[in-house]
Amino acid sequence: MKKLCRNIGLAVLTMSISSGSALAEEFLVGEQEPLTGALARVGTGMHEGIAVAVEVFNKTNGKHTIKVLTEDDESSPAKAIAAVEKLASQGVVAFTGGYGSNNIGPASDAANKLGLTYITSGGVDNGLVQRGYKTFFRINNTAGYQKAMVGVLDDMKVKSASVIYSTKEATAHLAEDVQKDLTAKGFKVGMHPFDPGISDFKPIVNKVRLRDKSEVILMVGYENDYVGILRAAKVLKPDVKAMIGVWSLATPKMAADFPDLMPKVYGTALLPYPTNFKTEEGKVFYDAYKKLYKKDPDYLGQFGYVQSMLLFEAIARAADKGTIKNGGIAEEMAKTDRNTLIGRVQFTQGDNLNFVHHMGQHQGEKIEIVWPADAATAPMQFPGVPW
Amino acid sequence: MTELILQALYSGVLQGGSYALIALGLALVFGTMKVINLAHGELVLLAAYIAYSVESSLGLNPVFAIPVALVIVCLSALIMYFLVDLIKTDRELNSLILTYGIGVILTNGILLIWSADIKSTSSAWLQEAIVVGPLYSMRSEPVFFLVSVLLMGVLWWWLSRSWYGRAVRAVAGNRDAARLMGINPRRTELVSFLIAGILASFAGVAIFSYGVIQPSLGHVLTIKAFIITVLAGIGSIPGVLVGALLLGVAEALTITLASSALQELVGMLLFLLVLFVLPNGLFGAAGRRG
Amino acid sequence: MKIGKLALAAGLLAYIGVPLLLGGNNYVMSLIIAALVIGGIALAWALLGNLGGMVSFGHSAFFGVGAYVSAILTMEAGVPVMAGLLLGGLGAVLASVVMLPVLRLRGPYFALAILAYAHIFKIVATEWSSVTGGSGGLSSIPRLPELFGVDLAGKVGSYLIILTILVVFVLCYRAIRASHYGLALRAMHDSEDATRVIGVNSTLLKAMMLFVSAFMTGVVGAFNVHYISFLEPDYAFNGIWVTLPIIAAIFGGYRTLWGPVAGALTVYLVDQLVFKNLIPSGHQLILGGLLVAMIIFSPRGLLPLLRRPSRRKHAAA
Repeated sequence: MKKLCRNIGLAVLTMSISSGSALAEEFLVGEQEPLTGALARVGTGMHEGIAVAVEVFNKTNGKHTIKVLTEDDESSPAKAIAAVEKLASQGVVAFTGGYGSNNIGPASDAANKLGLTYITSGGVDNGLVQRGYKTFFRINNTAGYQKAMVGVLDDMKVKSASVIYSTKEATAHLAEDVQKDLTAKGFKVGMHPFDPGISDFKPIVNKVRLRDKSEVILMVGYENDYVGILRAAKVLKPDVKAMIGVWSLATPKMAADFPDLMPKVYGTALLPYPTNFKTEEGKVFYDAYKKLYKKDPDYLGQFGYVQSMLLFEAIARAADKGTIKNGGIAEEMAKTDRNTLIGRVQFTQGDNLNFVHHMGQHQGEKIEIVWPADAATAPMQFPGVPW
Repeated sequence: MTELILQALYSGVLQGGSYALIALGLALVFGTMKVINLAHGELVLLAAYIAYSVESSLGLNPVFAIPVALVIVCLSALIMYFLVDLIKTDRELNSLILTYGIGVILTNGILLIWSADIKSTSSAWLQEAIVVGPLYSMRSEPVFFLVSVLLMGVLWWWLSRSWYGRAVRAVAGNRDAARLMGINPRRTELVSFLIAGILASFAGVAIFSYGVIQPSLGHVLTIKAFIITVLAGIGSIPGVLVGALLLGVAEALTITLASSALQELVGMLLFLLVLFVLPNGLFGAAGRRG
Repeated sequence: MKIGKLALAAGLLAYIGVPLLLGGNNYVMSLIIAALVIGGIALAWALLGNLGGMVSFGHSAFFGVGAYVSAILTMEAGVPVMAGLLLGGLGAVLASVVMLPVLRLRGPYFALAILAYAHIFKIVATEWSSVTGGSGGLSSIPRLPELFGVDLAGKVGSYLIILTILVVFVLCYRAIRASHYGLALRAMHDSEDATRVIGVNSTLLKAMMLFVSAFMTGVVGAFNVHYISFLEPDYAFNGIWVTLPIIAAIFGGYRTLWGPVAGALTVYLVDQLVFKNLIPSGHQLILGGLLVAMIIFSPRGLLPLLRRPSRRKHAAA
């Protein structure tokens, strides 16, 4: 009798435990993003990637589902805080999104106060990861861009470079890091900061052409800056072997909008264009993106996708362990170690130190990855400039 | 070094020509109505976006967009005039706020219609390099510089010879006396707004041809136009050209000799300097002190 | 000091009612605090316009300077945050001292000269990176402290602080207006020459109004920086600190004491809660339209429009 009771008791116990973890739940995740204002373009790009992640995760996880609630932070810090708080009041368990360190900072502050995890790919300011928050994670950083730029220069075997960079924080920071790295390697580096407002780059390019006489020009800025610099270079024709930029340059959009300025120009790019994903996950991502948005994914979508998938998977793991209510998500995030579309991701104090970007080059109508060698899809056309 | 400075001077002068075109509309309206149209930059930007639409949908050189831009921009200028005319009290200050509000509407309207992406011309003809000795430029720059000078010449002739032109100058000088002489001041004000619209149309197409446009540019253009208007002093068309050239050259030299991060600073300091030291501008007549 | 029944009721509602009813809703509290920040600038702007007779398009200059001064002093010199608020205001006053030559300019020239100063300050903030952190700005700026067990950095605490700041400012505004300075200033409006003839130093009075306006805006800027805890030149000197206060002040009635603050609350909340859902991108368009409509139909604002019937009643009685 006692044994029967004990067995029944054990059976009930086991059933209740297993039924606890067999419960498939839907989790609300908050997305705070600039969908209007100065950062609207990048925010929208990231938003698309996140939406694809939701789609893919819900299909493939088989147990839990994620629903994302979106709030526009209008590219403004005060509204970013308000967005985080509004979403928190609606019951989200974590946040994905954010662009611009000065919006991400206050927003992740607010999230941390509420004990909610926050993951982003839009904040390269190092101050973000020096706050000691257990809830803050980011999958990219300035160092990754810097490694890519310096790496491709190594391959080119040149010895002098001119850096034309915008005085905005992210660009200035990257430019200075690149300068330090290159000078340590014995490069001759000319630095040319410019105010984000200027439109005529001829004086600067002229300085590079007549004074620096460098072998390559490095451009650290945003789309309108690249167009201005390349236009000025096309007119002045400095004697350089390559024009190298960073984000938003090696994109199909730039190739389509400014076909005369792009040939042989380098920029950071995770994937070649036309995109051909070699991994299984890549193909799933590509198909889902194409189905939802009828266009090829760009780097913003890729980042948005990767950061969100990592978050959703962490949520699922924490749900299975029953630790969501006591910081489980942040714990699971910290344990992340997985290969993703952007390479292996692990978090050290919230930062993904493995992050190294790839360098792409506009070649004809395609964008080929030319650095690093293990991700390259084509050799670089060097020397080569758009004129 | 001399090459650098020569290029800076050359680029600055060409840029100044375009600045003059942008500023002239603002200066004219300010001269006749004592109204600063803070939405003038947005009018110019509107013309630029129209040029973009024409080029991207019809594949034509943006120069062909000028007629379309003229129609739409002049219509907008007319609407602005009527709105300003509705102000009953304290026109000088209230029109500032009114046109500021119109500027906000236009900027957001442009954002809604054309999105925040940057746009620029893809016409190869306009972007081809023209080399004169050691001096470089994109073809669009000297082309629109000449257009600018031409338009200013026409305007100057019109103001001094034609009846309407002289009426405009009369109203600018003394509104009541002009009315006594039989000139309808409101009609001349309308005309000056229209002319501002015409000038803005050309300026907008010019900007699209050699630069990059985005919705936030409107505000920047208005500020530059106002700085030049102040530099020139009221009532002087040649003054606007000189002021614009001065600004363009000062900016180019600052970038070349110092850091380009100081380019905006130069414009602002120049502005304040003129306000304090030469309150009548370089060529102006009427007083500006309180 | 006469305090009407309406004012008393409003005060109770603001100090007790709002925290009790809305204190739990972080989102709405965030909006209210942001609206009150705008209200503070609107108040200072209206004060300069009414008492000083000067319309300014560059109050972002004072806002930004106040923010930076307070942030830098609390971070580098260990100054307590509450003192930082005052010092931020004083910093803004110093900034306005630099602007004194502008006082002799008329109307639109003054307005845009102040704007030029705002641009210059922004460039200084960007270039002087050793002190201001350059374009990257400052992060993890000290927050409002805990006083008497109330965490002032929390939503309710911050709300009470900014509310108190505004109440103090309005009372000062009222006091100045009622004083013989106020009388002199109003006389100046009618005829500056006449007042100068009888010995009123109009330039000094105008300068003092500029200082007061700058101080108020600086304090509000400092409050905001400790509330948000992040700062960078683009944000500190953003055009939004010019546009919204002007819209708020005009909407609420910039000739009245409470108009600017009431206008700020109305405009900001309606914009965020209603307009934003209607036109997610570019809803500022509606605000622009509102401004245009206001100037044409009711330059004195919406609130005076509503109060007019009651005033007529009094006159009849």
